[in-house]
Amino acid sequence: MSLSPLRNRLELTSQQKLMIFILSMSLYGISNMITELLPEFRVGPVELKVEYFIFIPLIFAILFNSLYAAIGASVGEMIFGELLLGQFGGISELEKFIQFSLAVFVAGMLVRDPRNKRQLAVAAYVAIGIDQLLGTIVDIAKVYIGIEDLEAVPGLPQSILAIEGFSFLNAMVVSGTLFALLPTLYLVPRLYGKVEPLLGMKPRDGRAASSIKDFVTPRFIILAIVLAFVAAAAEFLAESDNAFFSWEWEADFGSGAFWISLAISIIVFIAAIAVIRARKKQKPKGESLS
Amino acid sequence: MEYTNSAHKPSFWEKFSVERIKVELLRTAYGQSMTFLSRFDPRIMIAWYSFFAIVPWFIHNKAVLLGLLLAVAVLTYSSKPSVLVLIVLAIGLISDAAYMLIVSLMFGGGLAAAWALSTLTLKLLVITLASIAVFSSMDPERLSDGLLSIGAPAQFSFGVAYGFRMLPILIEEYNNILYSYRLRGKSPDKKGFLGWRMLVYSFKLSVVAFYPLILNTAKRTRTTVEALEIKGFTYAMHDPKVKKLKLSYLKIRRRDIVFLALSALYIAAVFYVGSFFDA
Repeated sequence: MSLSPLRNRLELTSQQKLMIFILSMSLYGISNMITELLPEFRVGPVELKVEYFIFIPLIFAILFNSLYAAIGASVGEMIFGELLLGQFGGISELEKFIQFSLAVFVAGMLVRDPRNKRQLAVAAYVAIGIDQLLGTIVDIAKVYIGIEDLEAVPGLPQSILAIEGFSFLNAMVVSGTLFALLPTLYLVPRLYGKVEPLLGMKPRDGRAASSIKDFVTPRFIILAIVLAFVAAAAEFLAESDNAFFSWEWEADFGSGAFWISLAISIIVFIAAIAVIRARKKQKPKGESLS
Repeated sequence: MEYTNSAHKPSFWEKFSVERIKVELLRTAYGQSMTFLSRFDPRIMIAWYSFFAIVPWFIHNKAVLLGLLLAVAVLTYSSKPSVLVLIVLAIGLISDAAYMLIVSLMFGGGLAAAWALSTLTLKLLVITLASIAVFSSMDPERLSDGLLSIGAPAQFSFGVAYGFRMLPILIEEYNNILYSYRLRGKSPDKKGFLGWRMLVYSFKLSVVAFYPLILNTAKRTRTTVEALEIKGFTYAMHDPKVKKLKLSYLKIRRRDIVFLALSALYIAAVFYVGSFFDA
């Protein structure tokens, strides 16, 4: 808010960050809803599916602050595409959230000059590549860990690999070109310099030339790896049957499963009661205010 | 193909479906204040839902999963979800299952592979139905306040409420832009093989239509944020007193506790019965 030197003009106020967040959230959310509702065409294993309109968050990540655009898009997907349509997948959403935010964020940071078509093209493929690659790896690992008698079933491992590998290539070629490359090349140069004033911002004059060096610091790389690890761990934890809850015991101990499950439900119940208690303690203060 | 071909001459079916989708979404976003689940405190519902979102992943016993599915299905039915949501769910499930089956048959796994995969489908079904039951019966404002009170970031909880309310407007606007492009634009004379020209044309329109939509939404977003700031949104976000005042209407009553206790009892019973069917 203070009078800052000109070079600091590109630093955004918190209101502007909120604007970027909301813009990215609502627009990507709406597109996500559309893609969820569109029919998909399947010709044998060839799946012509509108994966997602990844170009929308990508545009905002390129034109504005990448971080807020990326997080906003993920939140939008969660709210519009999942909660509202009842497709919310519980814990697996965490992994999707992180991998998608990471992909859009990294791709957005790659672009220094929004008018440079080559940079835009690279960013488009990088975004979809990161997202799809992480998703594919996690998916394959998920099925391998999640299904106990995988080895007992002939043909299943190969078929999973085939499905996932094919859908990765399909996504890279079809979605990468149609929904990342072409729209980005078309829309970014047109929006550049036009959409910023509507939000009360100055168009960025190329992200400062040193931005990538500034950004790909050891801290950033470590953060990225940690986030990816957390995402994968959340998935594996959810899928694995022998990490924390050894359900193999069921066969040996008979009612062991019953006691464990009873314990879980009691813990949940007690936690809920504890929350209620905590609320009750606060209540008098709330009433005195009103 | 049907869908895109009808873009050429807006048929009864196409009009019907777009209008229908809008109505259904409006109903999802605004309706549902008098369902069974909507009577409970949002925080209780979030706690209840988080159990059903996480625990099924750890269960590999089909009998237990079926028991949970039964309860969740009844609750979903009671929350009167829109037909659209159910259709989307059904299409996804059926196509997934069929695809898995075909591929595993191709690789010689046979029905055993499909049986192994069906546990995963069952888990997903329980989680999905639970989320439909909870989120289609909760008021956006109550949901967002519930999220805020359990410590979600204010931006996120605002986003939930804003998203639910803005959605019909945004869909309407996108639809209008598409119509105006279609009105002024020239659609291809020949449809081409399997209507591919129409496909390309409608794809192009659907992307190009985002250009005005982005500009309009940017303007609208700025207005929204300015209105928020006039009311001190960012300031209030960091002030616990404001939060307390805002959330003081949320109260946990006896029926919330009874509901939780009954759910816990039911789940315990399901696990007990399920332990006999351990495969």
